[in-house]
Amino acid sequence: MIAAGPREPAVLAPDPVSAAPAAVQSADAEARTGAPFLAQVWAVARKDLLLEARSRERLMSMATFAVLVAVVFSFAVDPAVRARSIGGAMIWVTVLFAGTLGMGRAWALEREAEALTGVLLAPVDPGALFLGKWLANLAIVLAVEVLVFPVFALFFNLGFQGSLPALAAVVVLATVGFMALGTLFGAIAAHTRLGETLLPILLLPLLAPVVIFACAATQRLLVGRPVSDVVSQLKMLAAFDLVFLFVCTALFGAVLEE
Amino acid sequence: METTTAPPPPGYVHSGVGSSTDSLAGTRRWALALGVLAGLAMLASLYMVFFYAPTEATMGIVQRIFYVHVPSAWTAFMAFGIVALCSAGYLWLRDPRLDAIAVSSAELGVVFTTVVLITGPLWGKIAWGAWWVWEPRLTLTLLLWFIYVGYFMLRGAAENPERGKRFAAILGVVGAIDIPLIHLSVQWWRSQHPKPVIMRPEGAQADPAIVQTLLVSLLAFTLLFFSLMLFRYGLERLQTRAHALRAAPR
Repeated sequence: MIAAGPREPAVLAPDPVSAAPAAVQSADAEARTGAPFLAQVWAVARKDLLLEARSRERLMSMATFAVLVAVVFSFAVDPAVRARSIGGAMIWVTVLFAGTLGMGRAWALEREAEALTGVLLAPVDPGALFLGKWLANLAIVLAVEVLVFPVFALFFNLGFQGSLPALAAVVVLATVGFMALGTLFGAIAAHTRLGETLLPILLLPLLAPVVIFACAATQRLLVGRPVSDVVSQLKMLAAFDLVFLFVCTALFGAVLEE
Repeated sequence: METTTAPPPPGYVHSGVGSSTDSLAGTRRWALALGVLAGLAMLASLYMVFFYAPTEATMGIVQRIFYVHVPSAWTAFMAFGIVALCSAGYLWLRDPRLDAIAVSSAELGVVFTTVVLITGPLWGKIAWGAWWVWEPRLTLTLLLWFIYVGYFMLRGAAENPERGKRFAAILGVVGAIDIPLIHLSVQWWRSQHPKPVIMRPEGAQADPAIVQTLLVSLLAFTLLFFSLMLFRYGLERLQTRAHALRAAPR
């Protein structure tokens, strides 16, 4: 089990994909170990959300950055261009950059003062650790998005003529996939010398499918096309989410081995 | 760091070193043999490209770049397929040889993708009238290139080599799973816009000489790939061995 051996010489690393044996092993370890998988996920997510609720540093830095990007866009975009025709693109570029910024920070925090070692010593399944981290990141980035959309609407005079529930679905589905890859590669990048600089380089090409469908769906809703026009994009985003979540959860154990 | 990998394996490393020298001699022989074959096939394909294949009617002489472009693309995709399989295998079995194959393939994949990205615009400028067009295949190739450049940045930046191998393998697997999704997305994305007129000598109207030349080029590039891959694999194994010897306690 990964959590047991961060300081051991680790000759041959244990099989990363076997989340099931790890869960079985954790069942007979210590007092807290009986915790079911979902309880472990929630414990990790709660820890991160509590930290964030107290410091608010990621939320504040991401939100400030996002608003500043909106300001930069208003300088950069020619006034003759109708903002409504590029609104979806501007919003998603902003969300991607702000989200990547926050993702890098999420793992840098764990690296400071060896906080991650403490987490790894707890009897937590690697998959549960990943999903907990993912859940916390998802909540924080969704909070930023709730701010970003009105700010862009205000600055660029964008009126959403499409349906708001459909827009919410696009945002949630796109962010789920974004955060799955972001959490995995954030953890990887935090364990390299380049750190947060490496993250966007790894993340942006892999995120192309999410970006393409999120931008297209947002743009369609922005110009008032009916919900039936974005159903296929929503389905695609949901499919990407399932793939990314499954793959990233399965591979996460291999990131944490020492 | 080194200390975590070095202490347990001394005996293991030494036996590993012994067996790897044996297998490396075989690797080098194969690499050389395939290299000679690749050279011969390359000469044949060059002859066919310039003297045997007819000049294509609509595009003229520039169409001949096709015999470098398509085999490079084929080789690059094959290379990334090998990276994906060996990365998954490495995560499963932790056999350093699989990692060595993956890294060798990835390197050549980047090289051949670069060739595709250079020859494509050279041809596109004449055939499409623009250096770059956001056509699905071009877009996919460009994103592939970025993913595997990231693969090497990640390997290089890892805090210790073992981590670098694991991280690279994870990226190899995620990248391979992502590639079909990217392909699907860019196809959909481009279908929203007017398509460039793609004039390709494909299908029934292609001259048999063109098809034959293409097949010989494909063979030459595939042989070249495997030859270079084996040479690079041998180098990677030697590096690992040198690293283990340096790290081993005296």
